[in-house]
Amino acid sequence: MNGGGGGQKKRNFQIEAFKHKVVVDPKYADKTWKILEHAIHEIYNHNASGLSFEELYRNAYNMVLHKFGEKLYSGLVSTMTFHLQTMSKCIDDAHGASFLEELNTKWSDHNKALQMIRDILMYMDRTFVPSSHKTPVHELGLNLWRDNVIHSGKIQTRLLNTLLELILRERTGEVINRGLMRNVIKMLMDLGPSVYQEDFEKPFLDVSADFYRAESQEFIECSDCGDYLKKAERRLNEEIERVSHYLDAKSEGKITNVVEKEMIVNHMLRLVHMENSGLVNMLLDDKFEDLGRMYNLFLRVPNGLSTIREVMTSHIRDTGKQLVTDPEKSKNPVEFVDALLEKRDKYDKIISLAFNNDKTFQNALNSSFEYFINLNPRSPEYISLFVDDKLRQGLKGVKEEEIEVILDKVMMLFRYLQEKDVFEKYYKQHLAKRLLSGKTVSDDAERSLIVKLKTECGYQFTSKLEGMFTDMKTSQDTMQGFYAAHGAELGNGPTLVVQVLTTGSWPTQSSITCNLPAEVSALCEKFRSYYLGTHTGRRLSWQTNMGTADLRATFGNGQKYELNVSTYQMCVLMLFNNSDCLSYREIEQSTEIPSSDLKRCLQSLACVKGKNVLRKDPMSKDIGEDDVFSVNDKFTSKLRKVKIGTVVAQKESEPEKQETRQRVEEDRKPQIEAAIVRIMKSRRVLDHNNIITEVTKQLQSRFLANPGEIKKRIESLIEREFLERDNTDRRLYRYLA
Amino acid sequence: MAIQKDRVRFNVGGRIFETTSTTLANAGRDSLFGAMFDDNWDLQPDITTTEHFIDRNPDCFAILIDLLRTRELYIPTNIPEKLLFREALFYGLMDHVRSAKWGPFDGNRLHLSQSVKGWAPGDGTAIRAGPDGGCCVAHGSMVHVYDWMLEEHPPINLDYQRVNDVIWVDSESIVISACERLGRDDGGMGLFSASTGELRYKFHVTHENQVKSYTGGALSFNSDYKLFSSCKGRSNEYGIGVWDQVTGKQIDFFYQPVGWSTGDADKLQWLNGTNCLLVATLFPRKDNCYISLLDFRDKSMVWSWSDIGTPISDERRVRDAIAMEETNSICVVNEYEDLGFMDMRSSSGLVRWSSRSRLMKGKMFDEPCYPKLASHEGQLFSSMNDSISVFCGPDWVLSSRLRNRYGGSICDFSIGGDRLFALHSEENVFDIWETQPPPIV
Repeated sequence: MNGGGGGQKKRNFQIEAFKHKVVVDPKYADKTWKILEHAIHEIYNHNASGLSFEELYRNAYNMVLHKFGEKLYSGLVSTMTFHLQTMSKCIDDAHGASFLEELNTKWSDHNKALQMIRDILMYMDRTFVPSSHKTPVHELGLNLWRDNVIHSGKIQTRLLNTLLELILRERTGEVINRGLMRNVIKMLMDLGPSVYQEDFEKPFLDVSADFYRAESQEFIECSDCGDYLKKAERRLNEEIERVSHYLDAKSEGKITNVVEKEMIVNHMLRLVHMENSGLVNMLLDDKFEDLGRMYNLFLRVPNGLSTIREVMTSHIRDTGKQLVTDPEKSKNPVEFVDALLEKRDKYDKIISLAFNNDKTFQNALNSSFEYFINLNPRSPEYISLFVDDKLRQGLKGVKEEEIEVILDKVMMLFRYLQEKDVFEKYYKQHLAKRLLSGKTVSDDAERSLIVKLKTECGYQFTSKLEGMFTDMKTSQDTMQGFYAAHGAELGNGPTLVVQVLTTGSWPTQSSITCNLPAEVSALCEKFRSYYLGTHTGRRLSWQTNMGTADLRATFGNGQKYELNVSTYQMCVLMLFNNSDCLSYREIEQSTEIPSSDLKRCLQSLACVKGKNVLRKDPMSKDIGEDDVFSVNDKFTSKLRKVKIGTVVAQKESEPEKQETRQRVEEDRKPQIEAAIVRIMKSRRVLDHNNIITEVTKQLQSRFLANPGEIKKRIESLIEREFLERDNTDRRLYRYLA
Repeated sequence: MAIQKDRVRFNVGGRIFETTSTTLANAGRDSLFGAMFDDNWDLQPDITTTEHFIDRNPDCFAILIDLLRTRELYIPTNIPEKLLFREALFYGLMDHVRSAKWGPFDGNRLHLSQSVKGWAPGDGTAIRAGPDGGCCVAHGSMVHVYDWMLEEHPPINLDYQRVNDVIWVDSESIVISACERLGRDDGGMGLFSASTGELRYKFHVTHENQVKSYTGGALSFNSDYKLFSSCKGRSNEYGIGVWDQVTGKQIDFFYQPVGWSTGDADKLQWLNGTNCLLVATLFPRKDNCYISLLDFRDKSMVWSWSDIGTPISDERRVRDAIAMEETNSICVVNEYEDLGFMDMRSSSGLVRWSSRSRLMKGKMFDEPCYPKLASHEGQLFSSMNDSISVFCGPDWVLSSRLRNRYGGSICDFSIGGDRLFALHSEENVFDIWETQPPPIV
């Protein structure tokens, strides 16, 4: 039937009488269905242009109206099934590559036809379908397509294989028709999530797992860690991109899981520990990019980051241990601390550039530093010496902000120290020396560091340090007052500068006095009476071992120099005003300087080249008890001011170290006792282990208390009747109020 | 030129109409016009010159095309509504007609749209509004179902047993509960198709692995497709049964606690916010009133109130109860339409009565009905005699009163599908109250 014929028919249907006749016509239903069936055929045959929508709509309406809905519906099912089976055959006959295209074409044909059929049968879809609990037309069309095309024997496997093969080809670098892939996959999705999953997604994931298992095996045999990770990253991105191009978005998580499992999880340990290119090598060589890649990939898998973290931690601990126990490094405290800071900077940079500033990594870094810094018991001393060095000279000409940066770094190291009290001891000593010798570069820097220590450890920690600064200031005022009162009567004699140090604030010094030259001694007495006159009830003792003096000296050839020396050295030199030649014993007798100090002092006066204002007989490096000294008339120097240093060990000598240690231990005793009493006062009764734990916790910010020492302190407190043991349970202690 | 191209010419039943494709586009794709002008249907290239013939009623077409033009429905008196509905269904414009016919529900703007004469006079039990504007009316053993056009669908019955309650679980399904018939599996509860009236499945009560016959009472359901009913069996099956409304399987049973009454309950109400079921058993079914909130998760009665032990005058006798979650209160009503309020959060059992409606007293109907309560979006409704009062605001002040004297006193009413249905006890007549569409300007 051609288009013209259709028009003819349409006119027939407009005649009222005919319609009326049709109702009584027993063949009415068959005839009407024939028209609709024919239309469905024409729609599927791309021949719809001759059809009248109005006529078809009206016919379908009439069938439903006259209770032929069932006939209409079942007719639709069989007609559509017929066409889908024909299509199915066509698709099946398509050769090779054209298979998918044919499927896609037929699918879009069917969709269009389905839409048009639904248009015609709209009335049935609205009234008959819901009341008879049938499947709506559109859904019916999809179900029939699924059953007759997609699930028909050969097509189902062929479709799956084709899709999987195309994906494989794309994975191996070929360019495939992504648009076609998208359409076909979209079709599976339209047919319902179960169709997509069963007919495509599950097998796709299985095949992908096999593919990546094999590929990762191959990669790992022939690539180093960095290259492998690059490949894994590329593969992962490819899969994500694939999903965005033509798969269901919900598949992304599933396929990336597969890649992660096959390429990362299964080879994780091997990658991390790969010889010459594994994690440790990356850390050693600062391979930020590779490390970042490893972090981002391992982040995706369970236990990935913890693996990286553990390896990094043990590497930092091992290398850190080597560093702090290296006897070469320990020789120079400044280098020692510089090396620590360098290491810290290195890992800070790695964590910020490659590890996304991950908190857990920062914590691992901190705990590692804490671990190895405390392996060397001299770390507190060295850190203090480092500060000393910086504040004496290292910071000269450095901008304020940079000073802050250095101080912050020092504070960071300080935080790692378990024996903060030891640091405090050294810091006090070193600060005292700086203050008394006036060697500190920047008062601001000094104070800034004190503030930092205060915020870190509290007021108690720094109160004595601050006391030292106060003493310095007060002394200045005192001296001004002294000269204002007595300046006139002093005339041209020596000038005295006294720093009055509060006992307790400053490092304890064994108060060894020496005999000062008469002029100086007299001046000192004047000051003493002035000071005690203004401050009643105080006691002054002279710390001659800590002072300095500027002397004007005229040598044999009339050369005048200004000598900058220590108080001891001054005492020695002043003796030569009255005699040309003195023996060691004579000097010792008249000055009463302790022999170790005297020897050191004479050594610096007589044995240092260029600064040898004295001549020693015999000429040798060391000072002997029988040596004889005289003024070196031949002394010359390019400078008018000559600074004669004392030969001092910058680092503490072994016995000094022992002494400091002992002092620290002594200082700890009352602190431990105080902690025990505080705890027991609030807890009343506590067993031994708990006391140990709590005391350790309380003192943590200052030092790591030794359980043995705590036990001793407890025993001492029991003796002094602060505590008692419980009568029944000997492990329990009771507080005695 | 553009205007010219836009024009479409129809010949409907011999009358010529001209409109624009823009107007027709208002019908939406899912309509005859939407399909007809879709590109799939290769109409003659120049649609402006072609006359499209439609073999339908031209008067109705005029109304519907006007609806598409203006989104307003104006039906001349000479056109029966049913004729228009039929034509609208043909064109696929039923939704347009429905939404143009009445507006969003507001208790203070209701007007009586229609009164429908029911089938059997007297013995009206319940009326229930459907979600789509239809309703069903239970009387005796029959339930009559009406769609929003008030076309009656095949009636429903459950073994011709007396119906106790009826409920729409969705626009297509109605559950009814009925009395048991001794010794047989008749009665109980069944789910029916609203359009065909066919029974889809019955809900059974099993006790100790035996299916028991029972009388189904008040009904309620929640958004998890759980259906609740008060049940009264032959022996121990007293309490609240719970079924899956999709599968029809019994999933739980809350046995009636000793000294309490739930199996006889007059009213169930599911509370979404607290995940509890309000169960109210009221006079005269029992001598005393029992109102409780049940938590099915741990089978506990989380709140309860009863008038046992208090001296009862009729003035304090509770006739209906409703929970209003927004205000955490339970509203009750007595025989004289006095409202009382209880706090759901307190167990004091105190009822704050607001005695305001005594003026209603005195003109008793021949067949008096007890007051009923309903609430809808913050408005409270209470029926008394031949009128329904609307209360609003935090203090529940009377804001409107709906009254239609014809048909005697109101025995039940229901709100749903933006309509209020009121069933009168005489003549079985029911009223439909609607909110008019918002004004044009």
